[in-house]
Amino acid sequence: MDVGLLGQFVVNGMMLGMMYALVAVGFTLFFGVLDVIKFSHGDVLMVGTFAGFSTYLGMTAIGIDNAFIQLIGVLVISIGSMAILGAVIARYLVLPLKSAPPLNTLLVTLMLGTVLREAIRLFYPDGSNPKHFPALLPTDSWSLGSFTLRSDSVILLVGGLLVIVGVNMLINRTRLGLAIRAVAQDEETAKCMGINFKMIVLLTFALGSGVAAFAGVMNGLYYNEINFGMGLLLGVIGFSAAIVGGLGNIYGAILGGFLFAGLQTLGAVALPFASAYKDVFAFAVVIAIIAWRPTGLIAEKTSERV
Amino acid sequence: MAQQQETVLTFRGLTRRFGGVIALNKFDMELTNGQILGLIGPNGSGKTTSFNVLTGIYEANGGSIEFLGQDITSWPAQKVYEAGVARTFQRSRLCLELSIFDNIMIGNHKRLNQGLLFNIFQRKALKEQIQENHEEARKLLKIFDPALAEKMFDPVGSLRMIDRRRIEICRALISHPRLLLLDEPSAGMTHEETRELMDDILEVREMIDGLSIILVEHEMGMIERVTDKCIVLNFGQKICEGAYRDVASDKLVQEAYLGGE
Amino acid sequence: MTQSLKDKLVIILLAAVIAAFSITFIAIEEQVEIFALLVFAAALVLGGAKLGITASIAQSLARNERLMNFAFIAATIAVVFWFREDHFPLLMIATVLLYVIACCGLNIQFGFTGVVNFAGAAFFGVGCYTAAVLGDTSVPLLLVILLGGIIAAIVGSVLIIPVLRTRGHYAAVVTIAFGLLFRTFLEVNDTLGGPQGLGVSGMNLFGWDFNNNIEISENLEISFYMNYVVLALIMVILTFVLMRRIERSWIGLNFDAVRLDETAAACFGIDIKRWKIVAFTLGNFLAGTAGALYAMMLGFIAPSNFAFSDSLILVSIVLLGGMGSLWGTILAAGLVVLLPEKLQVIQEYRFLIYAVVMILILLFRPQGILPRGLRAYIPGWRG
Repeated sequence: MDVGLLGQFVVNGMMLGMMYALVAVGFTLFFGVLDVIKFSHGDVLMVGTFAGFSTYLGMTAIGIDNAFIQLIGVLVISIGSMAILGAVIARYLVLPLKSAPPLNTLLVTLMLGTVLREAIRLFYPDGSNPKHFPALLPTDSWSLGSFTLRSDSVILLVGGLLVIVGVNMLINRTRLGLAIRAVAQDEETAKCMGINFKMIVLLTFALGSGVAAFAGVMNGLYYNEINFGMGLLLGVIGFSAAIVGGLGNIYGAILGGFLFAGLQTLGAVALPFASAYKDVFAFAVVIAIIAWRPTGLIAEKTSERV
Repeated sequence: MAQQQETVLTFRGLTRRFGGVIALNKFDMELTNGQILGLIGPNGSGKTTSFNVLTGIYEANGGSIEFLGQDITSWPAQKVYEAGVARTFQRSRLCLELSIFDNIMIGNHKRLNQGLLFNIFQRKALKEQIQENHEEARKLLKIFDPALAEKMFDPVGSLRMIDRRRIEICRALISHPRLLLLDEPSAGMTHEETRELMDDILEVREMIDGLSIILVEHEMGMIERVTDKCIVLNFGQKICEGAYRDVASDKLVQEAYLGGE
Repeated sequence: MTQSLKDKLVIILLAAVIAAFSITFIAIEEQVEIFALLVFAAALVLGGAKLGITASIAQSLARNERLMNFAFIAATIAVVFWFREDHFPLLMIATVLLYVIACCGLNIQFGFTGVVNFAGAAFFGVGCYTAAVLGDTSVPLLLVILLGGIIAAIVGSVLIIPVLRTRGHYAAVVTIAFGLLFRTFLEVNDTLGGPQGLGVSGMNLFGWDFNNNIEISENLEISFYMNYVVLALIMVILTFVLMRRIERSWIGLNFDAVRLDETAAACFGIDIKRWKIVAFTLGNFLAGTAGALYAMMLGFIAPSNFAFSDSLILVSIVLLGGMGSLWGTILAAGLVVLLPEKLQVIQEYRFLIYAVVMILILLFRPQGILPRGLRAYIPGWRG
């Protein structure tokens, strides 16, 4: 195969992997503190992207057209508003169902995802059609033979990496992270130690949702197109990635995200006669991995008390 | 009780580890027909673990279990039950949204016809089986509490703790097991209730021929009153064995409980 | 008046009211009238519950199960007969009936046994595609319906190993991934028509063509959908009997034990794997048979009919009705299928409203609208 094309596949695969990992990290954080799956995560990402897009439109309308300032504005508004939305969802939908069967939480958040999706489709101006997301990053490119590397791709990859490293540091090196891990470990004990359980849950949901908003903006900047349905598949893939990696473990989420992207890329490269089957291939492998390691590649360290 | 001294259950060097923790360390034990064995020791000493290994919930990491002359060490839980071992759980594990009758019938699994075709197409024979088993369950429950026996179709979730314990024990006894494992039956009950419950269990033992019982219990009064023999575990190891009176006065045992050096 | 006579009158009256309500609801077109009718019905149900009438009706029903079953079948026939000449109402009724069958399948899976399945629409779809592919061959079409179920069960067996080895969310992902895989596969597979889908031949039973209107006389021409409604109703009754017999037997007890506490169930000899396999296979079989007839009735199928959101609709019906509750499933299937069709005003907003309603139900009435009661092995017998 042509080196340039192969390089393109690799960059594309890494970009997808980064986005999946960012989404999966959210799933794994939520599962860590509350043992629940918040399925609306993908749609929160989508809403975040639209919030960022609206910010861009707003800034352009009032005459701010410096791309860098616009980018900062888009990121701040998008991440900030989704952090608030995430906390609100946790407060009013997830926490009230804490003692209900896990399936109920899954369903409530699935339905919430539908609400968000439909709300954008119906109430965002011309929301049912795809929107052109602006290229706010410099697009210089370096050529190496037939392979072209664009600077915006590099910036996005580095940015994604920084966010993942940042979240990891936050969880492992800060007092807030310590509290999150304590709650994940044992809710009752954490409460006894004076940790404000509810506050930690809300902050965790805010953090995870903010990360998802970042992934959404990243998606918009990379593909330059957003639509109301983009969150569903990203959410499902992020969920699968978190599961395949092993719920409750950040490294598992990252591993799962890149693994899924790798599978899709491999499917596209290795099945040239049927590259359309790349998603079929990726999902089939996911099912096989779960059959092989029923609690994920990096297994959960819990055992049931009898 | 010593008509026949047939051995029912034997542990030889039974070992179970959880990661680095040795929950059960080379445990040797023997239980004869009709015997009531008290298993005591501090929390985390391996009492419940030995039940879980015996009933096939956990695999043994070493040693063997022999039940009625068969090596059952690696048998799955289902097969151990079929062979005649029934148990209760430390934290009650009844199905709260099911009726009393349903819960007891779960324990009767091996004596009910589980065939797909029988259950779907032979309604008449099935009805007879249901009615027969209902009668039997009612009789058994009556020994524990006559009032309860009249509420067979009430949900278990609506009952008091002591009634739930009774039902759990009936669920274990309905299949006429050879060995009954009771995991802290007195937990969450008053002194009086505990005494009452134990009397009922002894009464049932008279009815089931050659039923042996292993009792895990913190309530020493109960251990003293009903057991023929006691084994004390500490950190997964057997530290003492004998009649309750002898065991209670043993120095090692007192240290284990009081945390002496 | 004796108790039993009173019971019987109550049941017959109830069935008549339900039939009248259904006919009115399906027949009226004015949005205001439909809203008024819904508000009226809601007030009736809530008021009845407040005054204890609902509870006493429920007791009357429980005492006379056989009569109740026949009364409700009669009510359904009355509704169907009322609309004998109208295509659209009959199509809707048949759709409700087929959804009931598919949701009964899901009920066996996670209502009874706790095996989650978020790919219900995929197994329904396997049935549809079976009908599309076999429809033109010489295989008798009644057999095709059966084959739709069997092939759905066989396709499902691919998932048995992951489903048996996983629990909770991990099991959910297995079926979600399969549902997406199935749809993507259909979209890219040209032999199965790709995104455009396939045409399906209509049902034909011993030379009786289901797709022709039935001309009784010059001024009475019964809609051809009547054929499908009748066949679907027969299938629903068979499914219902099967479900009841399963629930009221040791099988139903084993299913419940597996759902509620696997460890305890295993300690009492219950073969967890066996019952999960039985439940999963049987559930997919039912969904497949419903799909096969559905495809024949519509005459055309495409991958977009089997999206994740369609699987969600099936799951919501089960949850809305109450897990494992048969009558609940029937009522919920009726509401979920008919409401969006009737409320044209909300047509555009229907998914939104529907999702909001589901959230409210999960928050405030998680047990569903008609929760399943305790198992009555033999109706009316309490020892």
